[in-house]
Amino acid sequence: MIEVARLNLSIGDRTLVGDINVTIERGEFVALLGPNGVGKTTFLRSLCGLHSIPSGHVRIDGAELTALSALQRARRIAYLATDDLFDDALTVRDIVASGRYAHRSWWRWDESPQDTDAIANALEAVRMSDFALRRFLTLSSGERQRIWIAMALAQEAPVLLLDEPTGHLDVRVAHAILGLLRERARAGATILCAIHDLNEAAAFADRMLLFGCEQMLACEPPDALFASRHLEAAYGISMHPLALPDGSLRVFPTQDA
Amino acid sequence: MRGLVALTLATIASGVIGILAGATWFAPATFLAAITQHHGDAAIILWQLRLPRVILVAVTGACLGIGGALLQGLLRNPLVDPYLIGTSAGAACAIAIGVVAGVAAPALPAIGFVAGLATALLVAVLARRGSGIDANRLIVAGVSVSALLSAIITVVLLHVNDIDASQQILGWLAGSPAGRGWPELRAAVPYAVIGAIVAMLMSRPLDALRLGDQRARALGVEVGAVEWLILGATALLAAAAVSLCGMLGFVGLIVPHIARRAVGSQAVTLIPACALLGATLTILADALGRTIVAPSEVPLGVILAFFGVPAFLYLLTKKERASR
Repeated sequence: MIEVARLNLSIGDRTLVGDINVTIERGEFVALLGPNGVGKTTFLRSLCGLHSIPSGHVRIDGAELTALSALQRARRIAYLATDDLFDDALTVRDIVASGRYAHRSWWRWDESPQDTDAIANALEAVRMSDFALRRFLTLSSGERQRIWIAMALAQEAPVLLLDEPTGHLDVRVAHAILGLLRERARAGATILCAIHDLNEAAAFADRMLLFGCEQMLACEPPDALFASRHLEAAYGISMHPLALPDGSLRVFPTQDA
Repeated sequence: MRGLVALTLATIASGVIGILAGATWFAPATFLAAITQHHGDAAIILWQLRLPRVILVAVTGACLGIGGALLQGLLRNPLVDPYLIGTSAGAACAIAIGVVAGVAAPALPAIGFVAGLATALLVAVLARRGSGIDANRLIVAGVSVSALLSAIITVVLLHVNDIDASQQILGWLAGSPAGRGWPELRAAVPYAVIGAIVAMLMSRPLDALRLGDQRARALGVEVGAVEWLILGATALLAAAAVSLCGMLGFVGLIVPHIARRAVGSQAVTLIPACALLGATLTILADALGRTIVAPSEVPLGVILAFFGVPAFLYLLTKKERASR
């Protein structure tokens, strides 16, 4: 569970988003939305201690984030960054195994049986067991994203933060990744995931957390958000909601006359 | 694991060659007989010349190999050498000034060690950012400080009138263990051992750092502290090496590359592999330097450059072809 109270996000002396109050429950998959540069990445980084918190509180499963050591934090929160990897020697298994960093004393070199199991289970969960010995850089974008998720699963942290995991993926692969995340949420994980595609987010997320105009505009289920005016306020363009045959809503930006 | 065993055997074999080879070649039987003796020509050559020399170059090679692996891992840059952080330039500059000021030769390694360590610390302080170290700034600061110190060395060399003094300075610059033995080894080995132990303890953080700074942090690595420890160990190893063999270039650059091919890139096996391979390479190169124009000597640094550079470039292009 992630509890955020009166959090202000700033970079330098510039405020990005002020007064964020939100609680994300265990088992919930929340999509993080908002225009580019609004502070989504900074928010995710603040939640895992990579960005300082000047004011406000973040609690992870009841524990104050700032009171946790780096290792304690890593056992509670896994963060999937977007930055690229350049080390061409790393294998898939090397990467997934590094998710175990916080579970073993740093002077213990050999893998424990728990480590081996966690790595195998993580690869199994993302259906990449056959790729264990492949070089990471030989994989496709979608496969790489699965491996990062496997690394986070091997970390066995109950909270999973992801920064645009579907960024460069085609629709089929993107849906497979988001389906995988929803599966993890149903298995008890707390998931907060920045996504750009509104309808993709609506198809998979339980709630949508929207940043815009230097504030948190809403954290509501997709249908409620799409029926409101918040999206137009955040993105500054007109949005037209449409109902699917099953009754759920999708939105489409419309050209202003 | 098999790679490490093979490298250990290679190190032992090269050690034997290093002891047998020289201006006078030992027959293996004479060598075996000399082990148990403490007098006689053979025993003196063995115990006072060959053995300390072989161990000395081996320790130097091991230090530079480990230092190279550490710094390449820390900076995520395969093109760096442990001397990049200013250790060798600082040591050489202090030694050059020491020679001109008339400091006795036996005191020079200690001066080099301290100056090398101090320069590395200066470079690290210039490169610090937040609680850790900025990789790009470390490279720029290291290159800049080294360039300044090299200019000072040039000025010193231009103003030395005494041929002996300038020869002595050039000997340090060329990278040679000539004239050093047990006392220098006794002084340097403790620091080399501390550096190697810290290196091994940092092997898991090093592996995590390969995924990038941010990911390592998110995985629970205290990146700032780890960076300082790795840099400190590199500085100790490089300073120990420079106090033994002067400005011996190239070993710290190529050894990690070759070792990675032999044992892979997990730090826990890569670090010992670099130590063994560095030792093997320097022992063999030194043995060659002592025999090729015997009874005089080619400095170790020159041999490594003449034979090591083409071999390394060949390996690089071969890899290029294989990966295409």
